[in-house]
Amino acid sequence: MRREDLASRLSDVEQRLRLRAPDEVMGLERLGSLHASRLSFVRSLVRQMARQRWQISTTRFDLDAEGHGVAIYRLQTPQARYHGVIFSQPLDAAARSDRVIAEAWDVTFGVVEGDVDDSLLEQMAANVPLQEAGRQHPRLLVLSRANRSLRNFAAFLDALSAGRQPDPAWLTRVGYLYRTTAVYGNGKFGIADFDRLKHNPDFQRPFSAQMLAVYLLRHFSIEQIEHMARARAPDGAVAMAAPLRRYLGIGNSTGLGMAPFLINHPQLIQRWVESREKALAQVSGQVPGEPERQRLVTLVARAERHLAETLTEDSEQSARNQEIASALPAVRAWLEQVPLAEELWQELIDWSRQTLSLEAQELIHTLLLELYPEIVDPFEDQMGVEEGLELTPDMPLVRLKQLIETHYDWALRHDFGDPDERYWFWYRSVEKEEPRLGVRGAEPGADRELKLAIAPRVADTHGVIDDFLSAHPRALVVEFLIHHPRHKDIIRRIQSMAETPFGEIRANLWAREMKPMHLLRTKLSFFGASRFDPKSARWVRITLFQGAPLVEELNAEPSDLIDFDDWSFPLEPGQNAEGTLSEPHATPRQHAGVSS
Amino acid sequence: MKVSYNELQGLCRKAFCAMGFEDGDASDAADMVAWMQLYELSGLAALGRGLDFLLEDQGEQPAELIYSDGDLAVLDSHGASVLKSSTLALELGFAKARARGLAVIKIRHCHNRQLIMGYLARLAGRGMNVTAFWRNAQAPDTAAQAPAGEQATDTPLIEQVVGFRAGSPVPEIRVYAVHEVPEENEPNDGVTLIMANHVDLLPSLRSEYQLDLLARHQESDLLACRERAMRDGIEVDDALWARLKHLATRLLVESGDASRSGAGAGTLDTD
Repeated sequence: MRREDLASRLSDVEQRLRLRAPDEVMGLERLGSLHASRLSFVRSLVRQMARQRWQISTTRFDLDAEGHGVAIYRLQTPQARYHGVIFSQPLDAAARSDRVIAEAWDVTFGVVEGDVDDSLLEQMAANVPLQEAGRQHPRLLVLSRANRSLRNFAAFLDALSAGRQPDPAWLTRVGYLYRTTAVYGNGKFGIADFDRLKHNPDFQRPFSAQMLAVYLLRHFSIEQIEHMARARAPDGAVAMAAPLRRYLGIGNSTGLGMAPFLINHPQLIQRWVESREKALAQVSGQVPGEPERQRLVTLVARAERHLAETLTEDSEQSARNQEIASALPAVRAWLEQVPLAEELWQELIDWSRQTLSLEAQELIHTLLLELYPEIVDPFEDQMGVEEGLELTPDMPLVRLKQLIETHYDWALRHDFGDPDERYWFWYRSVEKEEPRLGVRGAEPGADRELKLAIAPRVADTHGVIDDFLSAHPRALVVEFLIHHPRHKDIIRRIQSMAETPFGEIRANLWAREMKPMHLLRTKLSFFGASRFDPKSARWVRITLFQGAPLVEELNAEPSDLIDFDDWSFPLEPGQNAEGTLSEPHATPRQHAGVSS
Repeated sequence: MKVSYNELQGLCRKAFCAMGFEDGDASDAADMVAWMQLYELSGLAALGRGLDFLLEDQGEQPAELIYSDGDLAVLDSHGASVLKSSTLALELGFAKARARGLAVIKIRHCHNRQLIMGYLARLAGRGMNVTAFWRNAQAPDTAAQAPAGEQATDTPLIEQVVGFRAGSPVPEIRVYAVHEVPEENEPNDGVTLIMANHVDLLPSLRSEYQLDLLARHQESDLLACRERAMRDGIEVDDALWARLKHLATRLLVESGDASRSGAGAGTLDTD
């Protein structure tokens, strides 16, 4: 019997009863503790590619011995044809920066809808390498760029050209050869609007075209380094072994630029979090059998080893990783010892809430989602939404006040007169509009603040409504706004979001203790990021697609889609004394640099 | 040059914020301009014509409610652009129509009236039938929209009517010249709007007077414009685009070492 045959969906009522409270789910620290799950966008994309038998082929690969030149990949879906076009060029070491303020990169690339003829290629060659400074073609769905991890690149090139496999430990330290520094979609710099993809079944899910671009870059990074190794040693070079290829991901370097998206798209965030929470509610009500229990034990063991193999110089993240890794043996012991009760999963969730760190709790949730693909996977079609915040002008003002007090009570809990509660302000710099944080009163720019902090705005509006109601108790919202038009924006948001519990991040983004890293991780976890490696409180490197099936495996049209999709929490491949690589086994073990 | 819809909306929003619009007004105004441009109704040209006016108009006086009863309201915009002053008047009409089935709103003394259409589209999207009428309208930018042989040679009085069916993303638009000018012909810089919950109010020209149709946009033509824009991008005037970009920089904060480190990363990543 297949695992999911035992599953059955709960009724809507039971699902609702099992949903976690928004106050718990939408706290910033908890959101900043999320892990990638099977609902993350990279996982959904890989499933879709396999299910629909997408095929990827190389149509052009003109690189010199240094790996510089042009590569074009064709993607054929049942619906349409696309092309990934990659420009690789020399980059001066002094110009190699991951920040948005950079102006040159090792590779720049785009995904094109349809075919690439000479004139389009010429247009792209003139503009894609310029990124933001270029004028991009409207048939580009995605525009991106990436820089090499020089150390990994050198180590891999040396090894492959010397005829041996690179040590997988390189990829355990840094899981990629290339790190993207921005992946643009939705109309940026002239590329196609997302609206154009809304009715395209290939890429109508959020960020799926962007994730495809990253997946193609991963394939390119393998082909490019093998090409360079062959150029260096035509007779002695070897190809990368399959376990190592699979263990190779693509990095991403991200700063505060992600934060505005989370605040400016509350309806989308609502969908992402709600889908995950509904899936978790469904799973929590499943009656487990022994196979499910054993499957979870195996997954916990794999995650445990993956976390032990996750290295970061950031002391805080390192401590968090160690804390989870050291807690997981107890989770396995708990799972193996408790009776196989009908409510086992709910008991596990309750027990972990009482005893484990936030990150460990969320890890358990992520692993539970793995057990029931048939229940969880349909939620991936709920991740998108037609966005639009609208006023309800005929709402009685007193009703709006009640809505604020009921659904935005979290915004009213702060004293915004306290300097520590109004410490930070967000702004955009003249340097390529890079979002930054400044200290109010100490740094210039508070007069041009980005209004990302929702809580103080709600509190301000609540106070003004309160005053207005005392003189006009029967007023409608529109009548209030005619007297106080500056509140239109926030009222529109409150009215649109009040009934949707998971759209607002329940935190004061002005507060001195606010950690922007949590915002970045929230979004990255939905992308499917692993190996969170903070470089500061506002800057993080992560890895995407590490462990994911390879292009050649996709092209081979896999028959077992469940197995094909089982690549979360990837592990370092084993390597014997002769250097032969083997698939990893999920036995927990110590790893240098991390004690458990 | 060609730009995307999202890009156009985004730049307009930043430019309006930089001009001192409140956040909600800036995003509404950006949506109004971008909507017009999406449907090839010359939204940017209209903005370009009104930009100096907008930049000079630093008055903070909001639209004033002159008269209001259950299903009728009159507001005075005091000469402000509809980009800045019309949305709440329209929302008031929406609220009244929802309560009473039909409402009439008159907005007096407003500027850039063409641009009001984008917000009407939003109300229609929320299930309202809307018709707007104004006189002394701007002549259409091109005569190409007018049926052959119907182009007016002199246009003493131009009227424009725009009607949205509830739920439709695009309107029917008629712009026409009236040759027999009525005796009472005070310059009129207002807009009159009729909103109905349950009855559609699409324009259909019928008159004893002699009319020259200057422009006629049907729903199907406009939907084709949208498709074209999504496929090929949206044409914008380079100089105006540069001007909007320059305006938007007013919101940006100068950079220094402290600010550069405020992004949280180093500037070199040669690892």
